[in-house]
Amino acid sequence: MIHFDNVTKVYSHQGRPALQGVNVAVEKGEFVFLVGPSGSGKSTFLRLILKEERPTQGGIHVAGKELNKLTNWKIPHLRRRIGCVFQDFRLLPNKNVNENVAFALEVIGKPRRFIRKVVPEVIDLVGLEGKGHRMPDELSGGEQQRVAIARAFVNRPMILLADEPTGNIDPATSIGIMKVLDRINRTGTTVVMATHDAAIVDAFRKRVVELEDGRVVRDQSRGVYGQAYGGV
Amino acid sequence: MRAQFVLQEIWIGLRRNLTMTIALVVTVAIAMALFGTGVLLKMQVDKSNNYWSDKVEVSVYLCNKLSANPACQKKEPSQSDKDAIKNQLQSMPQVASVAAETQAQAYQRAKDRFKDTPGFSDTIQLGDIPDSFRVKLKDPKQYAAVVAQMQGRQGVDQVINERAILEKFFKILGGLQWAALIIAAIQVVAAVLLVANTIRLSAFNRRRETGIMRLVGASNLYIQLPFVLEGAIAGLIGGIFAAVLLGFSKVFLLGRLTRNLQFATELGWLDVTQVIVFSVCFGVVLCSLASFLTLRRYLKI
Repeated sequence: MIHFDNVTKVYSHQGRPALQGVNVAVEKGEFVFLVGPSGSGKSTFLRLILKEERPTQGGIHVAGKELNKLTNWKIPHLRRRIGCVFQDFRLLPNKNVNENVAFALEVIGKPRRFIRKVVPEVIDLVGLEGKGHRMPDELSGGEQQRVAIARAFVNRPMILLADEPTGNIDPATSIGIMKVLDRINRTGTTVVMATHDAAIVDAFRKRVVELEDGRVVRDQSRGVYGQAYGGV
Repeated sequence: MRAQFVLQEIWIGLRRNLTMTIALVVTVAIAMALFGTGVLLKMQVDKSNNYWSDKVEVSVYLCNKLSANPACQKKEPSQSDKDAIKNQLQSMPQVASVAAETQAQAYQRAKDRFKDTPGFSDTIQLGDIPDSFRVKLKDPKQYAAVVAQMQGRQGVDQVINERAILEKFFKILGGLQWAALIIAAIQVVAAVLLVANTIRLSAFNRRRETGIMRLVGASNLYIQLPFVLEGAIAGLIGGIFAAVLLGFSKVFLLGRLTRNLQFATELGWLDVTQVIVFSVCFGVVLCSLASFLTLRRYLKI
């Protein structure tokens, strides 16, 4: 589903590469924690998957497409197969929950009847039954993140990318968010989650890929947050 | 494509940027009105030029007892002198035809022309306008040789080239036309900069929305169309105001011109409508293009 083949990324304004010779393969339906200190290249990794950045060297395959060969006008089609969730939720403050979720479908031109059918379904899925008409500022952080997840998942993407989704949320609420992500993963969606949250990584025991200074220093199935080089 | 969604986005964009939008509309209106006025004046000049070019003549006035020219010695030339002048004119290669006008005919013509201003027509007397030859040229631009040969010839009081008078008139119109076009050009530059600024603000205001649109895979068309249409609509509203201003400019500027200057031939509403349609289209295309080019800088794909 996601293949990084010896990928190096150098941002022109800084000498040190953000990623250096990264080889990672994530298969369909996997759940992967991406861990590592700030500046280790986690965000670059996610941005490369979305083709928001181009690798300086190496090849990337996402959802069966070779990104280097993907023309600019086909990028939107790639992104329709990938959902994104962020630490800061990125909801539209002037739209209610239903409208925020529907927005993701409206802007890719889905018919209104389809939107009316799937939006309530996905809102139920993330556990926000009956809160469709709330505005984002009337919701707690955890609920806002659920809305963001609903928006990312409403178009049934093959891949869900989450960049520190529990970064702004207290530990108890984080568990709830993780359960939603797990539920989405069980539908067959590949989930890649970058995180600093040791407790969550340790509790969920999924595959862990650890980055340090742009290199993969650990790739462990059923891993823990731990330390580099095998840890624990 | 969901029209309702796009329209809603445009409306939000225009409303959030109301002051910039107003500035843009006003600038576009002035730019297009001046541009249109320039084009109208150009059409006026061309039309009058065409109309008059085969009607202008060189008039050769002969001496009579009232002539101020000392060479005339207040004497009318004899009939044989007049015939000689006429023959000389007819033998010139540039001349197409020569018509004689007697004092009596000229007096009658002046009476007719000024019949609306009695104070003037009453004071005209037979002999105020001397006998003359109306010379039609094969090519109205080739007047210099004819004028040179007739000027100062014995029995000739003065030679008047009507084309020279017309040219002065056209020069004034031409000057107006260029002034309008130059100011319009400056306004167009201002309009383009304003569009760029408006769209930049609009893109900044909606960066959350466009960021999400990008992430969920909205096509570039979907992301950019509301902005481009925002520019186009501002251009269109500006164009409509410009059309009204052009209507005024037809009635008050050109209308007055044709009434006060006998040289001007009136432009029809059809011509004005053409100019209006062209100006409005130009305004819309200009604003859309400016938005589109601005977006390429401020809206990352």
